[in-house]
Amino acid sequence: MLAAFAAPLGVVALLSVQESSELFAPLSFTPSAAQYAEILGDRFYLRTFLNTLLLGAVVTAVSVVLAYPMALWLTRLPPAWKPLGFACVLVPLLTNVVVRSLGIILLLGRGGILTRITEGLGLGRVDLLFGWFAVGLALTQVFLPFMVLALYDVLEAQEKRLTEAASGLGAGPVVTFWRVTFPLSLAGLRAGMTVVFLLASTAYVSATLVGGRKVLVSGMVVLREGLEILNYPLAAAMAMLMLGASVAVTLGLAFVIGRSMPWLSGRGQGEAWVPPRALVLILEALGPWLSRLLLALALFLLLFPLLLVAVASVNNSPQASVAQFLGFTWRWYVAVWENPRYLSDAWVSVQLALCCVAISLAIALPASFALGRGTFRGREWLGAALMLPLALPGIAIGLGMLRLLQWFTALPPFLGLLAVHVVLVAPFMLALLRASVQQLDRALEEAAGGLGASPARVFARVILPQLGPGIGVACVIGFLLSFGEVTVTAFLTTARMQTLPVRIYAEATFSLENTVNAISTGIILLTMLLLWAVNRLMPLDRVWRR
Amino acid sequence: MFTRRNALLAAPAFFASNAIAQIRRGDELTVGVWGGAQERILREFVSGPLEAQHGVRINYVLGGTTERRARAYAERGRPSFDLLYLNIFESRQAVRDGVTQAANTNVPNAQHLYPVARLGGFGVAFNPVTIVYDRRMVAQPMTSWRDFWRDDLRGKVIWPTYPGAQGTAALLMAAKVFGGDENNIDPGFAAIARLRPFPAIQASQDQLFGMFDQQVGAASVEFGSFTRSYAEARNPNIVIADPVEGQAVATNVACITVGTRAQALAEAFVNLHLSPACQRAYAERIYYSPTVNNVEFPPALAAKLVLGPEAVGKLVDFDWDVVIRNQPRWSSRFTREIAG
Repeated sequence: MLAAFAAPLGVVALLSVQESSELFAPLSFTPSAAQYAEILGDRFYLRTFLNTLLLGAVVTAVSVVLAYPMALWLTRLPPAWKPLGFACVLVPLLTNVVVRSLGIILLLGRGGILTRITEGLGLGRVDLLFGWFAVGLALTQVFLPFMVLALYDVLEAQEKRLTEAASGLGAGPVVTFWRVTFPLSLAGLRAGMTVVFLLASTAYVSATLVGGRKVLVSGMVVLREGLEILNYPLAAAMAMLMLGASVAVTLGLAFVIGRSMPWLSGRGQGEAWVPPRALVLILEALGPWLSRLLLALALFLLLFPLLLVAVASVNNSPQASVAQFLGFTWRWYVAVWENPRYLSDAWVSVQLALCCVAISLAIALPASFALGRGTFRGREWLGAALMLPLALPGIAIGLGMLRLLQWFTALPPFLGLLAVHVVLVAPFMLALLRASVQQLDRALEEAAGGLGASPARVFARVILPQLGPGIGVACVIGFLLSFGEVTVTAFLTTARMQTLPVRIYAEATFSLENTVNAISTGIILLTMLLLWAVNRLMPLDRVWRR
Repeated sequence: MFTRRNALLAAPAFFASNAIAQIRRGDELTVGVWGGAQERILREFVSGPLEAQHGVRINYVLGGTTERRARAYAERGRPSFDLLYLNIFESRQAVRDGVTQAANTNVPNAQHLYPVARLGGFGVAFNPVTIVYDRRMVAQPMTSWRDFWRDDLRGKVIWPTYPGAQGTAALLMAAKVFGGDENNIDPGFAAIARLRPFPAIQASQDQLFGMFDQQVGAASVEFGSFTRSYAEARNPNIVIADPVEGQAVATNVACITVGTRAQALAEAFVNLHLSPACQRAYAERIYYSPTVNNVEFPPALAAKLVLGPEAVGKLVDFDWDVVIRNQPRWSSRFTREIAG
């Protein structure tokens, strides 16, 4: 696992300190800062880099605001409805990125929904498409699910009696949220913010598709310099700078949120600020409505792609489009069904994702206990180091792997792909599980131990049931990430082994057909079934709390 | 031992004429190509017959040109691809960089190739880049590359991003009509900058078609073939222009890698790709024009293709060595002066 990530990272680091940008120049082992100097000395690159970080920060902030109402809504759903609720959250992760960005175009375009609303209200035309707003919206849509799921588990684990006690003491919903629910969810918030920031600041596909190339982000610089122009050293230096910024942000978040949870280390809490009474009353009156509005907004943002995909999958148009409906047809489903290659590639993807989740869980679960409960020095540094694969843009990992292809192709194809997928997926599962582990009630374990239960029994009968939802959520996310991975896999796919997303991507690079949407719709339905089955085996909430 | 012997056999086959290498049962060929319709046509007209005839196995690695090319460069001399498909300028550069082989005389059907399709490997399809526009949004038809600078198109041009086949053609044609060329690109950049602000910049045909659906802009530069399929299927208002200065040449090229262990099989593959049946299928299904001169078409289809020496000769070709050498600089200029 370490080698699978450390090797490409090492290559990227080595490439970034090359002095010469010549394609076939021999690798030099004398480090040179030439590439870094070029980026940092160029105001254009510097501005791109800072803009990207700002974009990541804004997307993270908006996701937080939208995710709280959504996650709270999920915890309050009746158990039977939970799988459906989860499916809603996961829709954007299950739809093709091209189709999703088509949705943004439909939403924001000149004849789009938003424009019609503002014109109807007499506000005139707003053209928000192809700019930073559209990119931010597209990124929020894809990464919101990570934030919601990170918050869901910690919110679900909260003692319901605490909120009852708060309201019994006269606190309204807003004050209860601010003084009880929010502080107790900080562990999940940290996981969510870290993951969303890292993903948003390294993403480039959405920026390419809905930014109309007016928006330039660091990932696009890596892609263009590295793959189109074949200037590996400059691309590698940019990737290393992104990595450095991500590590700084991860540590910064850990520090700030750690300071906001003084009760964990037993330190006392300072005097809380008491807002004026009038302000509280206003907020209490507005709060519930605002929360509902945000929930509706979040649900719309998440579900809109589903609508588009479902409509497009029965659209009788040779190119994938939802802007015009040319008649109803089942032919895309028939095409998928009749082509054995889709099914065999899908089977490869499923096997890969299952193995990947199993191995990632075996790594992430012990690691999350070590990080969540350990008190050793350098814990935060280790935590940040384990998040590194998320901080390095996928395209840079691909770049590093290119240099290692000769060794890589000597491995059996399945094992090679598996190793890379584990590297990409394990950090996510670790981030989510770490928050869950921090929420565990240690008093229960101590009580069980005091009653004579062996450590193994304590783990199986006390810890595992409490962690159930957290593990379930982490596994679902891990599975979907591996199942959908295309950026790095596209470099590593061989003639003998191909995954479904790589096939779809390869077809899309030629011309996007509606079979993509038929497959997406099928996958969404399958996910619902899968969630339903998971919920039967491993409930997504804590059964004994009902 | 087996592989080493194979390599020894392949080496003379590459340097001298191909007298030693032969196709044997059980040989495998790895082909890097685009997915979708192209994969379907190749399986039907090329790999199916080859597998049936010789008892060989053809494997496809599907993907976009960018990854394929980056991989072939990383594996220079020890390729995992035996044959890969590239665009016109990438293929010529790959030959110069020692990644892929130039065209040779071991492919019988290659004798019918037009000269321009014999550079950088075996050109298998012409897919020229031209002006495409929405007839509802322009005052009069577009007939020249200069028409992008007309008053009725102000603020309505969706420019293609650079680098890329469309963006490269657009930049070079802009330079050409304003008195420059590939060695004097400034007039091109200056002219494009005058078109700003753009309603959008497009990075792919699918994206452009989405923009046309939404009437984001009036005109752009795109492959005529795909745009024709789009126009016929869902937007009859889109016109594929035939500008007086000519359409910009773009070619799909089959490139046999340097160091392949299946030289003879790769050549047989290319030979079938250049066969009339396969070339006709490309034209009928995705409007790719043949690179060989021995295929006949019904008039209705012929009108939509680039056929015959005169039409092929009218395609605008460039000095791709210069273009490739300047790509990093132009790319950086484009990002700073045009997009961004």
